[in-house]
Amino acid sequence: MNLNFEKPLNMAIGAIDKKLERFDPLWQSEHGTGGLRSRYYDKTGIAKYREWRGCRDTMVDYVAWLKNLGMMGMMVAKDPVRMMKGFWEYRWMGSFLGSFAFVDRLFEGYRDRELQVSALHSNTIVRTLCGLIGTIIGNDRRLGGGPDSDNLVGLDETIPTLFFAGFPTLKPEPMQTLPEFVICDVDQHIEPYYIDVAESYGLPADVCSRCAAETGVTFDDAFPIFGKMVISTNQPCNASEATSMFQRRRFHREGLLDYPFAFAMQHNEALGNKYSAQELRNCIAEIEKVYNVKFDWTAFFEAARRVNEQNMIEMEKWEILATPYSPLCGISETLYKLVEWAIANGRIDYFNDTDRKVIEIMRKSVKDKYEPFQGKTRHRAFLWGPSAVYYTDFPTWTQNCWGLNIVLNMDSTMGHNIINTEDPEQALIDLAKFSEKGVMRHHAVGGWDNVNAVWDWAKKLNCDMVLVNDNVSCKGMNGVHAMLEEQARDLGFYFCFVPHDLEDCRTISRQDMRKAISSYMNVVLGEEPLDPTLVEFDDSEAW
Amino acid sequence: MKAIFKILGKLIGLVLVLFVATFALYMTNGENKLIYYVVRPLLNKHYDSQSRNRQI
Repeated sequence: MNLNFEKPLNMAIGAIDKKLERFDPLWQSEHGTGGLRSRYYDKTGIAKYREWRGCRDTMVDYVAWLKNLGMMGMMVAKDPVRMMKGFWEYRWMGSFLGSFAFVDRLFEGYRDRELQVSALHSNTIVRTLCGLIGTIIGNDRRLGGGPDSDNLVGLDETIPTLFFAGFPTLKPEPMQTLPEFVICDVDQHIEPYYIDVAESYGLPADVCSRCAAETGVTFDDAFPIFGKMVISTNQPCNASEATSMFQRRRFHREGLLDYPFAFAMQHNEALGNKYSAQELRNCIAEIEKVYNVKFDWTAFFEAARRVNEQNMIEMEKWEILATPYSPLCGISETLYKLVEWAIANGRIDYFNDTDRKVIEIMRKSVKDKYEPFQGKTRHRAFLWGPSAVYYTDFPTWTQNCWGLNIVLNMDSTMGHNIINTEDPEQALIDLAKFSEKGVMRHHAVGGWDNVNAVWDWAKKLNCDMVLVNDNVSCKGMNGVHAMLEEQARDLGFYFCFVPHDLEDCRTISRQDMRKAISSYMNVVLGEEPLDPTLVEFDDSEAW
Repeated sequence: MKAIFKILGKLIGLVLVLFVATFALYMTNGENKLIYYVVRPLLNKHYDSQSRNRQI
């Protein structure tokens, strides 16, 4: 007897979906009865209920949520007392409680294959961050230390950790990632607190609110303490130098050594590349000396092979991104790539599993000519934006409100060269190049060619629009405003600056950023929003 | 055989109860409401009362 339940199941699901379609915000916006913003309490960013996406997609999102809940629960269950101490000690730990709302808003309005891809990505990101929090809090000497307290190496958040694979007994842990780098995406109100701490200390306002926030974390004594040394860097730009000096004083007070690891700023130059490779050699020698360990090339090559596979897949993804059939896009793409590059960096093998699953979905989408977002995309944009597209759900909003699909963000083009896995000397040169083109750096520093590359990327990805995030404080990019505008006109791209103040939502609010896009879409292009509830709303009290 | 069915029945019941409870929490956005309106205000009160060592 051959029982086939698929047909009756599909009929039942179809009947339920039809019955409940009036609760689906996409249906509501099409029929003028509401939209994606209708289910929120005013200002708070807290939804009255979760998004109804139809039976199948709601279950996909529910399962992804359940997995995230399980991973967070496991993280706490492994060492509940220590974790409670962490929440009690650090203000930024409290902000991590906003992670569920954070994931929700990232993938609002996603359906079908774009939702499947984002579920895979969100589970991988949450798993990685839970591991990071568990390790750091579990070995924080401020909270009593742990079994790995002496085997951890603190390093600046923007140093790629791939070369640490050569020290299999050591664990590289980025110092600023938890108190500042990642958490500013989860909670927009956490970094203004630390910025105020820095400025109330008597410092003038920093040109970069990211650096100001890190300095505030330093003054507030809010860095976890672990390891024997901290590796600082001049990445992503020279703006971070003062921050490093303040942090150095704090770490010295806690008995930690520090080592400055300086990459070449002119990273397109062969000589700069050689200089960075020598810096890598020096840094490896210093770690060997402080931790009394030896660099293991076999272990390093193994991790480099994983990174090479990730980059091969990444380049295939870019080919598919150039078509209208990619269910991978927007924040699902850029946030995952950021975590894969900046935290995992070949040392965590499950990223390769996720990459293989995602590329399969993408290949199938090309074969089936699957258009994401029900084919509602009107424009394709390349985004010149800093890490995680501050603010994070911005690409989700541009698609949902205006049908503006942010195909790729500049950060996703970070170091993607293949690393030699046989010759140590060549591997160091390749690794230097890989590291120089790092987070917030590839297209931001090192000369005009790197900035100018946005047009090549936009063309290669078949984009008709370029968006440039304009940090109102950063003098680095202010200088190229007029040139970019001129070039956009000459090359025939739609072009818009999106003002922001990186981590200080009080200067430029999320609504101010949205307004810049809405004005452009409405006034310049004469278009109407897909979902009018998203054009103007107040989320000033949201995480 | 009867015992196996009994255990299986209980397992299915447990899974069902867990599903209903977690799905209800999910759909009502319960955890976010609890964190936003109860947990974070309490934690913020504690953080604001902390005295931090600001000497570097």
